[in-house]
Amino acid sequence: MTFNPLEQRGIPLDRQVRSWRELDVAPIDPDATDPYTRCRVITMNGIEVEAILFSHQLARHTADPEIKRSLAEVRYVEAQQQKAVNWLLPGVSSVLETTIAYEQVAVDLTAWIARMEPDPYLRQAYEFGVLEDFDHLYRYANLYEMIEHRKAESIVDGLTEVMPGRPTRMHHRHPYDNVRDPYDRTRVDPLSKLHALTVMSAEQQTMNFYMNTGPTYMEPIARQLYQEIGLIEEEHVTHYESLVDPGETWWEQLVNHEYNECYLYYSFMEQESHPKVKALWELHLNMELEHLRIACDLMRRHDGREPEEVLAPQLPNVLTFEPNKAYLRELLATQIDLTTLGAGYVREAHERFEEMQRRLNDGERPPSDRVMDQHRQVFGRDYRLETEGPHPVASERA
Amino acid sequence: MGAAEDEAVDEHARTGDPVAGDDVVALLMRQHGEIHTLFDEVRAAEGEARAEAFRRLVRLLAVHETAEEEVVHPHARTAFDGGGEVADDRLAEEKAAKEKLTALEDMDVSDPAFVPALLSLRNAVLVHARAEERYEFALLRRTTSPARLALMAKAVRAAEATAPTHPHPGVESAAANLAVGPVAAVMDRARDAIRRTMGGGDG
Ligand SMILES: [Fe+2]
Ligand SMILES: [Fe+2]
Ligand SMILES: [Fe+2]
Ligand SMILES: [Fe+2]
Repeated sequence: MTFNPLEQRGIPLDRQVRSWRELDVAPIDPDATDPYTRCRVITMNGIEVEAILFSHQLARHTADPEIKRSLAEVRYVEAQQQKAVNWLLPGVSSVLETTIAYEQVAVDLTAWIARMEPDPYLRQAYEFGVLEDFDHLYRYANLYEMIEHRKAESIVDGLTEVMPGRPTRMHHRHPYDNVRDPYDRTRVDPLSKLHALTVMSAEQQTMNFYMNTGPTYMEPIARQLYQEIGLIEEEHVTHYESLVDPGETWWEQLVNHEYNECYLYYSFMEQESHPKVKALWELHLNMELEHLRIACDLMRRHDGREPEEVLAPQLPNVLTFEPNKAYLRELLATQIDLTTLGAGYVREAHERFEEMQRRLNDGERPPSDRVMDQHRQVFGRDYRLETEGPHPVASERA
Repeated sequence: MGAAEDEAVDEHARTGDPVAGDDVVALLMRQHGEIHTLFDEVRAAEGEARAEAFRRLVRLLAVHETAEEEVVHPHARTAFDGGGEVADDRLAEEKAAKEKLTALEDMDVSDPAFVPALLSLRNAVLVHARAEERYEFALLRRTTSPARLALMAKAVRAAEATAPTHPHPGVESAAANLAVGPVAAVMDRARDAIRRTMGGGDG
């Protein structure tokens, strides 16, 4: 690939503010759109939310009012981008339908990144996490059939399988064991930095979404399941954010954020089938190129370093939404029983893990198990979508 | 209470519990899900299969909207503040959807204009269903006793039974199942069944 964002010119910042008419995007059709278009929308929303939140944090650590103003100007555009992207989601979809789409993102985004990740320790972190969101998809799909009497295949459309992963009850680890070791910013492949930032942003958005929409449900089991999985998404944010080298300066982090936005908009523009959505990815790419140029200037000025020192010489291979069924089945067969101990992974439930489980469960079954009990009571079976044969783990077969 | 007493109603069931609570909201939401799925089915099918799926969709829509007009919207008018206005908004949506449905009924399912008209109807129906769930059903559950919700559920089920929308092998032949008759007759039968059920008690 020859696309180098550092050598491209974008739209001048003073021409990036959009009118109400331009922000009033037409939502995608919930049934007649490629599910991966919706996945790209959800991913970019998470990326834009992180761009906004990171810029706020940076501003709070900045004394110079002129720098604060410069950050505010770019941030306002990021906020408009977030609106234009997230408002592509249709209002007729229920919260639970959007939730299932979020878990489809978590599964196919993380699985693809795990497949492409060059660093073995980082790859293990993604392989570990993806089996948990895979199980969330299964639990929410069963809640969906119970409450809305629809099958999750109408949302995931056979691109992603729905069946048990690592059981959700096993995700409640002691927080001490959720912190991984960071990569070394001076030695790691620049692609690994983009991967970590992307997955962290997606999980952070999922955490925010569940913690805010969960209480809008009336059904007790739905309220409880969102609480439980919302807590796990916080564990996932802890897990993924700890992969990032904390020695990166604020300006270096800003450059990484803007570079990653260029990478993702470019990737999604290349593969988008929906013409209007594709045009939006292209517009946003042209905005991000300018954000990146501004961030690079700030880094040169404040760190006295060239951004080229920390960035890849050209964009890596495009990040792609595609089925990862065989890969996920391989992970299910080999890693379903893993947990964490300190910064590493083990197969035995250790003392700290057991103690955490005792505290939380207090002699009862967690909501993620009760939702399955209730579903079986109503339907006499669980809901699953196994397109490639029976579950790879014999004990998890229906 | 009359009719409601025939049915075991668990007064301690928590509202909105999809298993313990047998309330009208859970039932109507189930029908919303089935309607949405039938739209998918009609869109994906071709030829006679599409015509057959479309007939089932029309029947379910007829039964469902009749039940809401007879049972849910009148109750909403008095159940909570602003209920009259909420019910009026829902009736206006139902009317708009019915007009789109009428336009489709005379169309051949293989007509190139059929799918666009179907999608337009689907949008109207989905918007209406979500508006009910968000602005009407949520308030019904908050303001209505579990016993009353269960009685209303019984009436909706009685309406549903007059026009089966799934083939019932062994109970009736597929041919008989299709010969339910014109939409107006489906609505009449549904309305009669509802009034018989609700007439038993107005608790
Ligand atoms: Fe952005
Ligand atoms: Fe998840
Ligand atoms: Fe997650
Ligand atoms: Fe309805």
